[in-house]
Amino acid sequence: MKKAILPRALAAIALGSASLFAMTAAQAKEITIWCWDPNFNVAIMKEAGAIYAKTHPDVTFNVVDFAKADVEAKLQTGLVSGVTDSLPDIVLIEDYGAQKYLQSFPGSFEPMTGTVDYSKFAPYKVALATVEGETYSMPFDSGVTGLYYRKDYIEAAGFTPADMQNLTWDRYIEIGKTVLEKTGHHMLGLDPNDAGMIRIMMQSGGEWYFTEDGDLNISGNAALKAALETEAKILQSGIAKPAAGWSNWVGTFTSGDVASVITGVWITGTVKATLDQENKWGVAPIPTLDIPGAVAASNLGGSSWYVLSSSDVKSEAVDFLNEIYGKDVDFYQKILTGQGAVGSLMEARNGPAYAVADPFFGGEKIWQNFADWLAMVPSLNYGIFTNEVDAAVASQLPPLGKGGSVDDALAAIEAQARSAIQ
Amino acid sequence: MRTRHSMDKASPRLNRYFDVNGWLFVAPAVLLIAVFMVYPILYSLWMSFQTGRGMKMHFDLTANILRLFSDPMLGLALYNTMIFFIVQVPVMLILALLLATMLDDKRVRFRGLIRTAIFLPCVSSLVAYSVLFKSMFVQDGLVNTTLLDLGLISSPIPWMTDPFWSRVLIIIAITWRWTGYNMIFYLAALQNIDKSIHEAARIDGVPAYGRFFFLTVPMLKPVILFTTVTSTIGTLQLFDEVRNIMTSDAGGAAGPSNSALTLSVYIYNLTFKFMPNFGYAATVSYVIVIAVALLSLLQFYALRERT
Amino acid sequence: MDLYFQRLRGGLVYLFLITAAFLSIFPFLWMVLGATNTSADISRGKFGLGGALFDNIVSFLAFADVPLILWNSLKIALLTTLFTLAVASIAGYGFEIFRSRLRDRLYRVLLLTLMIPFAALMIPLFIMMGKLHLINTHWAVILPSIGSAFIIFYFRQSTKAFPLELRDAARVDGLKEWQIFLLIYVPVMRSTYAAAFVIVFMTAWNNYLWPLIVLQSNDTKTITLVVSSIASAYYPDYGAVMVSAILATLPTLIVFFLMQRQFVQGMLGSVK
Repeated sequence: MKKAILPRALAAIALGSASLFAMTAAQAKEITIWCWDPNFNVAIMKEAGAIYAKTHPDVTFNVVDFAKADVEAKLQTGLVSGVTDSLPDIVLIEDYGAQKYLQSFPGSFEPMTGTVDYSKFAPYKVALATVEGETYSMPFDSGVTGLYYRKDYIEAAGFTPADMQNLTWDRYIEIGKTVLEKTGHHMLGLDPNDAGMIRIMMQSGGEWYFTEDGDLNISGNAALKAALETEAKILQSGIAKPAAGWSNWVGTFTSGDVASVITGVWITGTVKATLDQENKWGVAPIPTLDIPGAVAASNLGGSSWYVLSSSDVKSEAVDFLNEIYGKDVDFYQKILTGQGAVGSLMEARNGPAYAVADPFFGGEKIWQNFADWLAMVPSLNYGIFTNEVDAAVASQLPPLGKGGSVDDALAAIEAQARSAIQ
Repeated sequence: MRTRHSMDKASPRLNRYFDVNGWLFVAPAVLLIAVFMVYPILYSLWMSFQTGRGMKMHFDLTANILRLFSDPMLGLALYNTMIFFIVQVPVMLILALLLATMLDDKRVRFRGLIRTAIFLPCVSSLVAYSVLFKSMFVQDGLVNTTLLDLGLISSPIPWMTDPFWSRVLIIIAITWRWTGYNMIFYLAALQNIDKSIHEAARIDGVPAYGRFFFLTVPMLKPVILFTTVTSTIGTLQLFDEVRNIMTSDAGGAAGPSNSALTLSVYIYNLTFKFMPNFGYAATVSYVIVIAVALLSLLQFYALRERT
Repeated sequence: MDLYFQRLRGGLVYLFLITAAFLSIFPFLWMVLGATNTSADISRGKFGLGGALFDNIVSFLAFADVPLILWNSLKIALLTTLFTLAVASIAGYGFEIFRSRLRDRLYRVLLLTLMIPFAALMIPLFIMMGKLHLINTHWAVILPSIGSAFIIFYFRQSTKAFPLELRDAARVDGLKEWQIFLLIYVPVMRSTYAAAFVIVFMTAWNNYLWPLIVLQSNDTKTITLVVSSIASAYYPDYGAVMVSAILATLPTLIVFFLMQRQFVQGMLGSVK
């Protein structure tokens, strides 16, 4: 008797657990997401997941955060090795790298052209994730740029906020010299290892490292040349405080050291975190380059969400992105207020949060301004080799600061870039 | 040399017994290394003859090798790595040897405490120490303010924004972390040296520096060779420090003007940061292999036993 | 005169040693002080005690499941160490005690693997781990580190100091080779094992690049990965970074201090 019971009991347990597994597999659909920055992207994605889960209780979210370079390294490893089950369902990719991934790993990302209404988004964000008519991204945060400045410092140097509007770069440097002379504060923090400022200026001039067709565009690139000349002037004028690396650069303004910051809108949260500087900041459009067609708006960074084709919950992942990021205007108000994230869904800027006058910035309607500038950002093809050329540009910046010739720098960038993009 | 085969020549049967045991003892390690090292090495050798972008790769015997010779970034990486090697390895090893000799002296008080203190850096977590160094060496960080206060410098040193000083910083960082580690090897070797020879030399009137160069150094030769070879391998593969101290997340350069771009960082960039081209990255990694092999050979030759 | 010089030299020696010791410890001091300061004070280079320790701990705990992360690191480091010690000491013993020309050649090939930069092996290893379905498991981190040519080398060098008379006596007594290894070699070489333990534990605990690539989710991450993730936020909280740096350093410090005496003895044996 006893002998017969045991196998049967085991079988019952085995069956029970098997069906249990089957049930959990059918019920819980977990969407795994990789992104960087716990205070920004991660927090925003968790918020989005919470909203979606309210109407879709069968979907759960697993947001994994790594450093940005680490997300890129892991994504690239998974794609190159073809080990697709190592990949997440959704991944955040910086806009500069979008074409590289889409073109060199065809079939790895899920097109969303049929689901998402892309006419509702800022056109430049859609263009950068489109390959041969298919768009692959859920456009996310914009890197629209602005000139953040310390009203108290420039007033101490004899200027008014009106003087900070419609600047040229030469005028900006002039003001910087006066500010340094009268207040002892540098005009801006600048990391000589980072070509970010060059990219801001170049894009405001309507050009990039590559032409629309993806060919290298260095020696004949008027915007790049003007950008290098301007950067050289800034470095040589002494108005820039050298910063080493990202966090040190952030420290130049959070510590109250420098009088202005020119960067993407995503820095707003960081600026506002310095509570002791309330009411001291203003925001103006960035200075314009001295070339025909240059505008006072540009972009730095910004990223978008992509669904991996290998995902076994890709329809849920696409639906989730479309429902929240593609339609939910309230969500965009929430992340604007909470994290200072400016999305690229154009109708979101008609929401209440964008109309709020921000007391931190002395009651300026900065969000409305950024939304307006966003529409002016020149749309470009970032190409597939931005990282490579960026490294070439960055290595020419220190010689420029020491008085090197811009033409030599351009030639060196061209040579290094040519060899790197084989 | 002692005879280590006292029983091995006993009989053919016993010989076989020892041979079987020999293979059994080394088998687990050999298997593991074959699977997790040798196979990947061969795989990457095969990959080094592939060229293309991302998933679109094709075989080409010479493309990557030819590219090596027209790659200015590779030249720079090779140059930087050699600078680190030529300056850092000797400085660190001489420092370690000096410290070890001083700590070998029984009359020095608190030897244990000092030895522990100097060894501690190599126990520290790599990422943690990189964060610490970064925060100490920024433009108006602790190091510059201290040096300014002491009147040793008149303006802050641009540790991380000037190509020359950023190389100095990397050298300081590696030296800080690994000097104690090498010192322990020397210290251990020194304590095995027969002190009576030194004593005899001292009585004969040989000065301290003479004893150091003509007695200590020759007797330490095997350890010096060992530490030189391991430090050479470590320096030529230098990666972690540069990535964590010098590379900013936003920019593409490793230090100002890529002044700290090493071969390993370049391989990393080729594999993970730039357009994924693992084939070329694999080819570049064989440049390191050849460099290490040549240098090790040179060192073996220079420090060979002359008997 | 002679005495005067001797004193001067003695003074210089102390000055040199104390400076070196101070410089070696200083960053640790900076780390501990930093953990008590606010993020803003740290970037200003404030050197002194602050009152933000509690806040920093709280914000660090909010970042990650700290006990789980520490457990992951500890598990990986301990398993790696135990397996490496076992495999490498058996091999080091085997190569030294049972010499043959073929095995010596093989040994040299093993040493050659030290020259390959790890970055070059990551893609092939990753593909392999994918095929073994080990991605995002701790085994994927542990397995490739076990066969360490460096530690085999270390054990082989140390085995040269192993008294062969003991082995011969045991053979006469009729012990099998594995018994000789287990019952005689292991106890005699205790301090060699201790030194290897410290070195392997340290390396495994601090391992960064490979775990970063192969571990995928929050619940498998190690403390090293968490430190780097916190330190690279857009707006890093340095106070929390310092707390995490302490936690990442403490276990290796403890291991070192527990084994310090045997460690030094073990190193003595390795360089004969």
